[in-house]
Amino acid sequence: MSTPTRLTRAISVIAHVDHGKTTLSDRLLEFTGTVAPRDMVEQVLDQLDLERERGITIKAQAVRMLYKADDGNTYQINLIDTPGHVDFSYEVSRALAACDGAILVVDASQGIEAQTLANVHQALDHHLKIIPVVNKIDLPQANPELVREEIEKVIGLPAESVIFASARQGIGTKEILEAVVREVPPPTGDSNAPLQALIFDAKFDAYRGVVTYIRVLEGTLRPGMRIQMMQTGKAFEVDEVGIFRPERTPVEDLSAGEVGYLIANIRNVRDSRVGDTVTDEARPASAPLPGYRHVTPMVFAGLFPTDTEQYQQLKEALEKLQLNDAALVYEPETSAALGFGFRCGFLGLLHMEIVQERLEREFNLTLLGTAPTVEYRVKLRNGQEVPVDNPDKLPDPAEIEAISEPMVIATIVVPSTYVGNMMELSQERRGQFLNMEYEPGDRVVITYRMPLAEIIHDYYDQLKSRSKGYASLDYELVGFEEANLVKLDVLVAGSPIDALSMIVDRSKAQQQGRRLAEKLKTLIPRQLFEVPIQAAIGGKIVARETVPAMRKDVTAKCYGGDVTRKRKLLEKQKEGKKRLKRVGNVEIPQEAFMAVLSLD
Amino acid sequence: MERIHSLYLHVPFCTWVCKYCDFNAYAVLDGLIAPYVEALTREIDAAADTLPIGPLETVFIGGGTPSLLTTDQVRLLMDHVRAMGLASNAEVTLEANPSNVTGERVDGWLAAGVNRLSIGVQSLRPDALRFLERLHSGSDAIEAVRMARAGGFANVNADLLYGVPGVNLEGWLETLETVLAQGVQHLSAYELTVESQTRLGQEVRTGLVQMPEADDQLEQYWAAVARLEAAGYGHYEISNWSRPGFVCRHNVAAWHYQPYLGCGAGAHSMFRSNDGRTERRWNVKGPHAYIKQAAGSGHAVAGSETLSPERANGEAAMIGVRLLDGTTAARDFPAQRSQLVDAGLLAEADGGVRLTRRGIELANQVGAAFLV
Repeated sequence: MSTPTRLTRAISVIAHVDHGKTTLSDRLLEFTGTVAPRDMVEQVLDQLDLERERGITIKAQAVRMLYKADDGNTYQINLIDTPGHVDFSYEVSRALAACDGAILVVDASQGIEAQTLANVHQALDHHLKIIPVVNKIDLPQANPELVREEIEKVIGLPAESVIFASARQGIGTKEILEAVVREVPPPTGDSNAPLQALIFDAKFDAYRGVVTYIRVLEGTLRPGMRIQMMQTGKAFEVDEVGIFRPERTPVEDLSAGEVGYLIANIRNVRDSRVGDTVTDEARPASAPLPGYRHVTPMVFAGLFPTDTEQYQQLKEALEKLQLNDAALVYEPETSAALGFGFRCGFLGLLHMEIVQERLEREFNLTLLGTAPTVEYRVKLRNGQEVPVDNPDKLPDPAEIEAISEPMVIATIVVPSTYVGNMMELSQERRGQFLNMEYEPGDRVVITYRMPLAEIIHDYYDQLKSRSKGYASLDYELVGFEEANLVKLDVLVAGSPIDALSMIVDRSKAQQQGRRLAEKLKTLIPRQLFEVPIQAAIGGKIVARETVPAMRKDVTAKCYGGDVTRKRKLLEKQKEGKKRLKRVGNVEIPQEAFMAVLSLD
Repeated sequence: MERIHSLYLHVPFCTWVCKYCDFNAYAVLDGLIAPYVEALTREIDAAADTLPIGPLETVFIGGGTPSLLTTDQVRLLMDHVRAMGLASNAEVTLEANPSNVTGERVDGWLAAGVNRLSIGVQSLRPDALRFLERLHSGSDAIEAVRMARAGGFANVNADLLYGVPGVNLEGWLETLETVLAQGVQHLSAYELTVESQTRLGQEVRTGLVQMPEADDQLEQYWAAVARLEAAGYGHYEISNWSRPGFVCRHNVAAWHYQPYLGCGAGAHSMFRSNDGRTERRWNVKGPHAYIKQAAGSGHAVAGSETLSPERANGEAAMIGVRLLDGTTAARDFPAQRSQLVDAGLLAEADGGVRLTRRGIELANQVGAAFLV
């Protein structure tokens, strides 16, 4: 059953995290009969367990719906659900590139947030028709009228076009679908032109290899065709093309304007990169679609098995995970303190957490992650420039000419009451004030230029806590800048712990060293002996704390009948110790390695 | 299966369940005692028929408060125990609350075959007894010990608690001194331990009660160690002391990882098969459920676990190391042993190892090391 192009629509739902994007998508699926209510698992589109648990979308999803509109026509609506978190903004951008319109969801009580703005700007960059929706109007604290006014003033969309909805209660669903078929333009591509299909996601399937999510913009894609990836140059033969309803359903072809998937015996998601253009090898398009960007990791951290025997398992697990996550990079790393592990690159902190959690859960590993760091560029006196993604690998200061660090433009949206706090925090974090705009609804948009390293050091948590949870943040990388940085080392029981080294601003180094030592004192559990903790800059000790020896751990009563209980108790104690990494004689918990993240 | 020479009988009733106690004990259910004793005899008989048991070297009637039983009930239990085979020099212990010790009962217990009385003195200080919710006074407790001795018990133990909030070192030593003056053969001194599932645990969690600092608890412990040594008591287990020849043989057998049978509500048993595997079984905990099951079939097992020889060895080392003369049970753990010796927690002793002073203070760390 094919739909004429004029009745085809491709849309995405965009929103700040938690504004109800996925719930709204679910309602659309239900309303159009794509998923029967009885089959409705809460949040159909979030397929990973982790996504459901955390209530976030990590991977983009696509689904085709058929909607019989009031004008009597049956429309094919392709819906692409996108990740909401800033870590995955590139994926959002590619998903949007595969659409002609976007439903913008704004929470009726929260109003416009930093990611709302970021998403709107992205959607406008892609020339998408935006359908504004104010969601959660049923909540007692909702103020839909104010948010509607905000949308007009801040985003410039006419207030009359705003639809009031409650995805939870199904209010406004039909109005949204009507607006989609009325407002969003049909695709303009030509089914007979040379093939151009945009990859907006890829997933590894153990049986079929990589399933590539695409939108065909020009031409037609059929099984049996030889296709070529225009960025990587690799060619494959197409086994199957299909659509999502929402499960994969093979079709005879996908033509201009349609969204679906292709399977072509691709063994690695790296060969099916988000943003790449698929073309016909025999009749290639003259140019790839614009906007492809090689995805580069922003933060780096070491992952080490707490049990050294799990190294091989960790290696295999990373290989498997990478099949499905092109943004994850890793290479072997050896730490004097932690042994053999991997230095991994991630899109951001959430991505890092998710990877670690999946490795532990899905592969049954116990891991120790070191504090994340950014990648520095170090100019040596001999003229060479080297990247440094591990503080411990910083060259000898005598050889260093200059160190540059990655900078971002951070956009903060916050109620005006907290402007002072936000500025104070950003100033502390070496931010350079750029701009401040007052918006309706008592909102202020502040922009700062600041080091990415400061952002990953618990800036977001501070932002939230110093604004009572009201501030929201978005940031984008804008290049590298020279800075006056030094390496801070930590010694535990006299031995340097390479995995605790950090690179810090010279003027704050001593203070950071003191705070780190104090913090470690509270995090390192008492051992059988006293453990001194020292912080040092270039061999000079700047702080010292001591963890006193364990005083007492003895069960007074232990008789025959208590033995099982006592054994279980001690076994439990021991199980808890698995999270500790033995460094020399000292057992150090995971939290200690993350201590550098929050020294305020 | 290896023959069993130790028997534990559990009596889960108390007049009042003290707030620190997390044993399997229930405030007295008077009407239940008779059917409970009846069920217990059924379980004993059934075990005698099915297990390689006896002659029994030790019998321990614990609780709860076994002294709540009438002397007839104790005699009835002992008659059934005797049918299992009781060694002529067997040690037969009964735990008693000072409130229940009378001349008449002492006579009855002796006549039933009990030859060791373990009296829950706990403290002699009125404030401490009130805090602990003990219903007897200090002088009741001393009188109980005196009556037991005078009535013919040649082997009397007193249980004491130290580290009780509000009792300083001096107060603790005064209690200890007074009890020693009664000439007990055996003494157990336990640190008051906060168990999370108890009312005391609740009070500590909510800040209503503040427990003494570790340093103060240890000060009281080591003071007792010194005093008891001076008084001629051998310190043979972390919390146990005795005159020469009066160690509690029942408990020593358990610390040596010998099999035992436990009967009664929530009682645990440990058996060893000939191939070295160790089995633990435990009975249903509640007295009602126990009576229902044991009175019918003579069985009330609620669960069991089988330990591999390796795990059983670890367990044996974990509890064996509590014996202060040392243990050879840790022989299969050379790496852990040498690590603990290096850390100053263990010392080599007669082919085995024993806890050092620091090792006693951190005995759980030592025990846990053997659980691999």
